[in-house]
Amino acid sequence: MAQVTRPKDIRIVTIIALILVLLAFPMLFTPSIKRMGDFIPMVLGIIITMQFVSLIGIWHMKQWGVQLFIIMFCIRVITFMFLDLYEFRFFFNIFYSLTFIVFFLIHYRKMDTNL
Amino acid sequence: MVLTLLKESIVFAWGALVANKLRTFLSLLGITIGIFAIITVFTIVDSLERNIRGSVQSLGDNVVFVMKWPWTFGPDYPWWKYMNRPVPEYSELAEVQRKAKSIDAIGFRIGTRKVLKHNNNTIENALVSGWSYGYGQVKSFEIVDGRYFREDEAEGGYNVVMLGHTLAEGLFPNNEYPIGKTIKVAGRNCKVIGLFKKEGESMLGNSMDNQAVVPYNFARLFMDVKSENSDPFIAAKAKPGVTNAQLKDELTGIMRSIRGLKPLADDDFALNETNLLSKNFDGLFDIVGIAGAIIGGFSILVGGFGIANIMFVSVRERTNIIGIQKSLGAKNYFILAQFLFEAVFLSLMGGIIGLLLIYGLTLAADGVIDMEITLTRSNIILGLTISVLIGIISGFIPAYGASQLDPVEAIRTN
Repeated sequence: MAQVTRPKDIRIVTIIALILVLLAFPMLFTPSIKRMGDFIPMVLGIIITMQFVSLIGIWHMKQWGVQLFIIMFCIRVITFMFLDLYEFRFFFNIFYSLTFIVFFLIHYRKMDTNL
Repeated sequence: MVLTLLKESIVFAWGALVANKLRTFLSLLGITIGIFAIITVFTIVDSLERNIRGSVQSLGDNVVFVMKWPWTFGPDYPWWKYMNRPVPEYSELAEVQRKAKSIDAIGFRIGTRKVLKHNNNTIENALVSGWSYGYGQVKSFEIVDGRYFREDEAEGGYNVVMLGHTLAEGLFPNNEYPIGKTIKVAGRNCKVIGLFKKEGESMLGNSMDNQAVVPYNFARLFMDVKSENSDPFIAAKAKPGVTNAQLKDELTGIMRSIRGLKPLADDDFALNETNLLSKNFDGLFDIVGIAGAIIGGFSILVGGFGIANIMFVSVRERTNIIGIQKSLGAKNYFILAQFLFEAVFLSLMGGIIGLLLIYGLTLAADGVIDMEITLTRSNIILGLTISVLIGIISGFIPAYGASQLDPVEAIRTN
């Protein structure tokens, strides 16, 4: 199986995205999120973890990584809307996620279709 | 099909964990400590918060307190403005009661530390409160034995007293029945007429357990009612349907007229309500919670690195087995699932052990601390969630690496 070469921009964008996703993880422990309900930290945690997994896929130039990232982005936006979290981090998240998606889609065709 | 794969993955993962017991134990220890640290902090913070909120609510959330000092805190507190204010007086209570339309119940309360004595049993510095009759309808409390004082006893300043659980135990240690007995309150004989229900320790220090309550007109015989040390205040409870804001507006007008304040003069009294206290505590608990999350977060991080490290070692050790599995037809996702399950299982076990330790700690604390510390459902869910997610995050990279191995090269590996 031929290894697809990872372009430089994907490398940079994925590293930035990984840092942002991992920085979002402590958000689960914040009292404001805990107060929203027993299962809210779990839902947000699953979204963050899946985004992390998708980025590992993108790092390995796999199409499923991009697909998973887009799905998780949509779920995250819907969840934030349901939770009425219309604050700075919500709009910041949409902004940087859309930027990353554009970069990923530019290289989508070059990516591997297998797992 | 999927279930078979799932079962096989679990069996492989379990086999690997059992084969290296010491390594399994050491790697789950990191997560155990992490979960223990983070959930312990949350459990303690939640318990403290519950206790304080309970104490605040016992003051009544539809009650407005007329006091000298406002319940606001912070660096910009202009204490010099408040220190020359007069303290609320009992005579103002009757005026407010006469003029107010939105009040359901109103009372006056003073309190100070005095000596209680019964035979050879003495309690120094006991909190003795003097209540007007109406204060009993404003404050929430329960009497387990005896009764609340009558209106004529309150007005006439009868020497009757109601005791909190701790004080009653201190004055009547050998299961002696206190009702009807005479004790000395600040050197004056007083007949015990009621016992308050045990409330437990309160973070605000307003538990009824440590209080002796006498009628205000009796208390003023041995308390300086005009002194700030007696902490006098008027408490007014709003009628059903009346908001605290409406009640405060009315009280402001009445108090200003009683005190003869000119239209442009500042109020010389504070109208406090319990939600002011709650707001102040919200900020405090948020800070403690965030601090706890940071401390616990780092512990979890260390635990996660431990699991990732062990998983890399595990993949390295079993590389030729992976090669054989793949050459016999095992799919990439089977190899991925196998290692991922191992990481999640390790992490989850660590988390469960951490939660069990906390549960044990709460049981042990139950007998030592006079405050209810409970491991709540939300903290259990949070602990298990964090364990599973850390397992996935730390195990995915090694597991994915294993799934991508070339079977021929993997078999050749020693």
